[in-house]
Amino acid sequence: MALPALEIDKVDVGFGPEGSRTEVLKDVRLKVEANEFVAIIGFSGSGKSTLMNLLAGLQPADCGEVRMNGQVVTEPGPERGILFQNYSLLPWLSVFGNVELAVRQVFPEMTKADRRAHVQRYIDMVSLSGSEWKRPGELSGGMRQRLSLARTLSMRPEVLLLDEPLSALDALTRANLQDEIIRIWEEDKRTVVMITNDVDEAVLMADRIVALTPGPEATLGESFPVTLDRPRDRTTLNFNPQFKELRNKVTRYMVDINQEAKMLRKAVDVSLPELTPYDFTAV
Amino acid sequence: MLREKRAWSVETGKTDRTARVLPKSVLSIQASLISINPFLLEFAVPSISILDFRRALSLSVLVLLIGSLSGCGEEAPTETAADPSASEAPEVAVAEPPVDPPPAEPGEEPAEPGEEMAPLDLEKDELKFGFIKLTDCAPIVIAKEKGFFEDEGLQVEVIAQPNWKQLLDNVITGELDGAHMLSGQPIAATIGFGTKAHIITAYTLDLNGNGITVSNDVWAKMVENDPALDTPTPKHPIPADSLKPVVQEKLDAGEKLQMGMVFPVSTHNYEIRYWLAAAGIHPGMYTSEDIKGFTDAQVELSVTPPPQMPATLESGNISGYCVGEPWNQQAVAKGIGVPVTTNYDIWKNNPEKVFGVTKEWADENPNTHIAVVKALIRAGKWLDETDSDGNLVNREEACRLLSQPNYVGADFDVIKNSMTGYFFFQKSDKREMPDFNVFFKYYCSYPWYSDGIWFLTQMRRWGQITEAKPAEWYHETAKEVYKPEIYLEAAKRLEADGHIEKSDIPWDTDGYKEATTDFIDGLEFDARKPIEYLNSHKIGNKD
Amino acid sequence: MAESKLEKFKYGLLKLIDVSGFKVFDPVVRLVFGEEPRKQAGEVLKFLVTPVVFVLLCLGLWTVIAPRHKTKSGEVPTPVEVWDAGMIANTLNERENEKETDFALSGSQREAEITLVQQLLAEKKKQSEQLKAEAEKVAAAATEETAAAIAPVQKQYDELKAANKGAKTTRSGEIKKLAEAVAAGSATAEKLLQAIRDDNLASDEARDAEKELKDHMDEIRSNPPKAVKKTQLAYDAAANEVQHLSKRLDYLQKGNRSQKVSQAEQKTLAAMSKLESATTSSAILSAAKSVVQGEEKAARTAEQSYPRTATIWFQVRRSLFTVFVGFVMAAVIAIPVGIMCGLNKVVMACLTPIISIFKPVSPVVWLLIFQIVVGAFFPDPESHPLFVFFGSLPWIGELGVNPALVFSACTVAMCAVWPALVNTALGVSSIDKDHMNVARVLKLGLWSRLFKIIIPSSLPLVFAGLRISLGVGWMVLIAAEALSSSDGLGKYVWDEYQNGSSHSFANIIFACFVVGIIGFFLDRIMIVLQRSVSFDDGAAVV
Repeated sequence: MALPALEIDKVDVGFGPEGSRTEVLKDVRLKVEANEFVAIIGFSGSGKSTLMNLLAGLQPADCGEVRMNGQVVTEPGPERGILFQNYSLLPWLSVFGNVELAVRQVFPEMTKADRRAHVQRYIDMVSLSGSEWKRPGELSGGMRQRLSLARTLSMRPEVLLLDEPLSALDALTRANLQDEIIRIWEEDKRTVVMITNDVDEAVLMADRIVALTPGPEATLGESFPVTLDRPRDRTTLNFNPQFKELRNKVTRYMVDINQEAKMLRKAVDVSLPELTPYDFTAV
Repeated sequence: MLREKRAWSVETGKTDRTARVLPKSVLSIQASLISINPFLLEFAVPSISILDFRRALSLSVLVLLIGSLSGCGEEAPTETAADPSASEAPEVAVAEPPVDPPPAEPGEEPAEPGEEMAPLDLEKDELKFGFIKLTDCAPIVIAKEKGFFEDEGLQVEVIAQPNWKQLLDNVITGELDGAHMLSGQPIAATIGFGTKAHIITAYTLDLNGNGITVSNDVWAKMVENDPALDTPTPKHPIPADSLKPVVQEKLDAGEKLQMGMVFPVSTHNYEIRYWLAAAGIHPGMYTSEDIKGFTDAQVELSVTPPPQMPATLESGNISGYCVGEPWNQQAVAKGIGVPVTTNYDIWKNNPEKVFGVTKEWADENPNTHIAVVKALIRAGKWLDETDSDGNLVNREEACRLLSQPNYVGADFDVIKNSMTGYFFFQKSDKREMPDFNVFFKYYCSYPWYSDGIWFLTQMRRWGQITEAKPAEWYHETAKEVYKPEIYLEAAKRLEADGHIEKSDIPWDTDGYKEATTDFIDGLEFDARKPIEYLNSHKIGNKD
Repeated sequence: MAESKLEKFKYGLLKLIDVSGFKVFDPVVRLVFGEEPRKQAGEVLKFLVTPVVFVLLCLGLWTVIAPRHKTKSGEVPTPVEVWDAGMIANTLNERENEKETDFALSGSQREAEITLVQQLLAEKKKQSEQLKAEAEKVAAAATEETAAAIAPVQKQYDELKAANKGAKTTRSGEIKKLAEAVAAGSATAEKLLQAIRDDNLASDEARDAEKELKDHMDEIRSNPPKAVKKTQLAYDAAANEVQHLSKRLDYLQKGNRSQKVSQAEQKTLAAMSKLESATTSSAILSAAKSVVQGEEKAARTAEQSYPRTATIWFQVRRSLFTVFVGFVMAAVIAIPVGIMCGLNKVVMACLTPIISIFKPVSPVVWLLIFQIVVGAFFPDPESHPLFVFFGSLPWIGELGVNPALVFSACTVAMCAVWPALVNTALGVSSIDKDHMNVARVLKLGLWSRLFKIIIPSSLPLVFAGLRISLGVGWMVLIAAEALSSSDGLGKYVWDEYQNGSSHSFANIIFACFVVGIIGFFLDRIMIVLQRSVSFDDGAAVV
């Protein structure tokens, strides 16, 4: 069997000194096949970004390993392109400059003309043509994320890590960008791990959905393969029974684990003092 | 030839100065290091910070060193390292560049009477002179403004200095070529009281010109103590006797009367001391520990720069001061004090300011020095020019020039008062003082040895010279500072050019003025007998 | 089409106004272009007219209050007097310019100028004489008037004094008698003591009464009629002009450069002919020497420039140059050190004690330290290559670069370094974590990380720091110059204070405005710079 493109192997992440340690992630295991689009879905505060940092190599695991093609990941690198939630654009550089910085760094041997063409290609790809010399400050949220996407893609990463890339956008822009990402991915297949908190988005885009249980000590729960045919048309999808069933299943699962977690949490809750509201009307 | 010579003399001067200055700078840096260390020790990481600091300091020193050394050529550091004694007696080591003729006989050929003298071969023709904003800088300003310097081929810049100490420092470091100095300054610098440097003078700028002013309050008490003063025009000279009860009253209250003077070795310091001591008020002694001169003082005298005197008096920090013009007249004009006496009353026709240069400069630029003195003599003569009625004719123009903001800058009227022979003691008391400012009369511009000896006796009297010296020492020191030979050479040339009369110059003097008793206490001063003079005073050191 | 061009121009202008921090003029521009006239007019009224009116009110208040506050150095000058003082300072500058031109004039131009100046001089002399006569007349009249005003008071004073004296004698006699009576036993000692006490009290009262009259007389004396001062000032101005014109004539004739050169050339020629006719070897040698000397003198004179007196505008230029040098020194130190501090906590920890101790040190202390230290490194300033180099530069050479400038600049640098350093460190250490993540993902090396991420991202804060530094530096410089009498605006102020002339106070206030206005423009320049590097379009604090 071929090596998984990306593998998380029994990873724990926590913070705080020993004794009063808080585990953010506990015993996380995940295997992502080559060219697979995996969506990890979870509630806010469940450690999604920590998981993403782990994959990107921006944060080390306390125990266990993250492997890419069998190699242990110890530091970030351009082969794992990450799309940050808040774009992380360099505000003092133009659209072109932001992409160029990445290209220049990743492909230092490229000639100037090639580099220009390369940069321009990715700008065109995310439909930002015409805005090359604008600064990020002059772009809308959607455009910024597109630019961020262009920058990430221009590095030609083997694995694309999307950290809630669309959560800061309004619904229309979001839909628009979802389509764009899928279009680009379909044109040029590669391994993608996307974190999201939107079930519809996950079902629409991913090959497989993996649930992240609520933190602390979050871990990956059940995994739901999405077998819907591609290309998926969002206009007709709503009437697709398969889609509806999957969406309900995932949603129900998420609600359940959330309640479970709440119950668990309640069990360790400190007992509250018993107070009876005083009835003023009785006086 | 000219350039070659200049280059040579400049170079010697440089190595010599470096030798003197470098160790000092190292010392001062060490001192600052030591003074900063204790602060750093209070921190938890002393070793690192000190190390850092030291490195930073040595680095910056290095950078600066490179900067300065690149200008000094390569021999400078080696010389310092090889010859530490150079720092102690540099003047002797490179006193005379071999190419230059000795200052006593400059010019190309010895001059013969009746024949035109060879022009002076100037070593330097762009000069900077410093002055303090006082009317007695007039000869320097006049020599510039009336073109006397220009006639000698000199282009001179005249620059105001903030105080006497900085003026002297600037002359010593070479920032200035020469300056308007207190008579005591060249002497004190030469004998090493304060900053040590061999300063000489070949020209006395003026006589008199100072006054002692007390605050209105003190004056009111003095009038109370001496009813004779209670008229609009009290009889002069006013001795300090009526001040004595005021001093006593202060002492009884556990305080000391504070008065101001302009510099520890200034004429003003000695004059106000003389005035106080003549009335039996002890103005305090200098000792090797007490360099402020407060020991045994009944009145404490502190240093204030002349232009700040009126403001300091007004603010109540001092109750009186001794200062040159226009700062006494200013007090009258502003109504903040009453001038009680002028130094003309303390010692009639006492020497006041001199034109000082370093010995080193004079040795490097002997001909330039003569040219400067020539211009100053002409300026002095111009200032004291009178018409047939004995009225000073050029003073008004001089006042106009001095009142320019880049010179004295005070109002024309205020400067005019004293310069044109009048002095306001009070608004209602204007008196004629024709000799209040003397620039040329009475052979005053000649650098008299006897003047130097008087200052030396006063320095000894008040303890600035800490040990007893033989009479011989007084004469020798005076001769080290006062250089009449340069003055006479300049005068000879001026006479040949027809700018002065033969009678203007005391050609045949031995440099000692006649003995005089023109003092407020009537003591006799004979410069030939310094020790006897010293011992004739009641208050002060006796040998 | 034309309209859109106009629009473009308008928005360009608005942007310029915005960037340079003069946003108050925004509505004016809009109003000029006819945009919402009613609204814009309202804005103009609120934010432009009102402040102007307020400032005018302040000036009015100043004009009213100033003469009422009498100091011992005279009245506080009114705005008009300050303006006049400024104009006089400017006149002095123009006079220097004239003399400088005169010094360098030659040929027919010089001749023409001489005639002109002579004519002017004659006119002015006449005028000056007239004014002098008038001033004397007015002064004499005033003296008479004062004497007349004083006479009755003087009489009163004399009478009072005589009366007091009489009373005192009487009282003394009575006390004497009383003492005798006590001795004889016909009166008690108590009574005598009381009499003496009463006598002292009465004497004090008498003295106070006398003093009051005397003070009154003094006041009359020290307040001569305004006309005296006015005529005197008019005469002074004319006499100064005469003085100036005669000095100009001097620079056109005897002191003129071309004249001096030709004089030296003539001397050389004379020496040349002497050389030709000389026979003995010593005479030949002496004549030859004179020839060479003459030649050199002529060459040197030809290069001479007019020795300018430092006027206010010269001092402004020199201060600006000094502050620039000090500021650059501060920036060169502060930025790299600040970056190191921001990057490395250990470096920060090492430097913190040094920064904390030295930051609050008064500039005066630094000045003294640098004065001592710097002086020692330039033993012979005039021939030091650094100063020779600066002296040979155009513009800067005129400013007189010397050790005083160096230590003033060092003092400025020492005080200005801290805000820039601290801000740079802050800017570097507070760099957005996302930006650093980008750098990590891109695997940027140290230098690219520094130059592509860290420095650009901290630039706005760095410039904010530099802006504070420049402001601090400018303030420090003026104080340093005043204290050390190193040429510059500070020295100008100090000299004026020391001059203590009737213009001095007004001149100091004038200089105060000059310092303030220059400081304001320096700040504006820094704002423009700061905004040009800031990417977040955050409005700079005014």
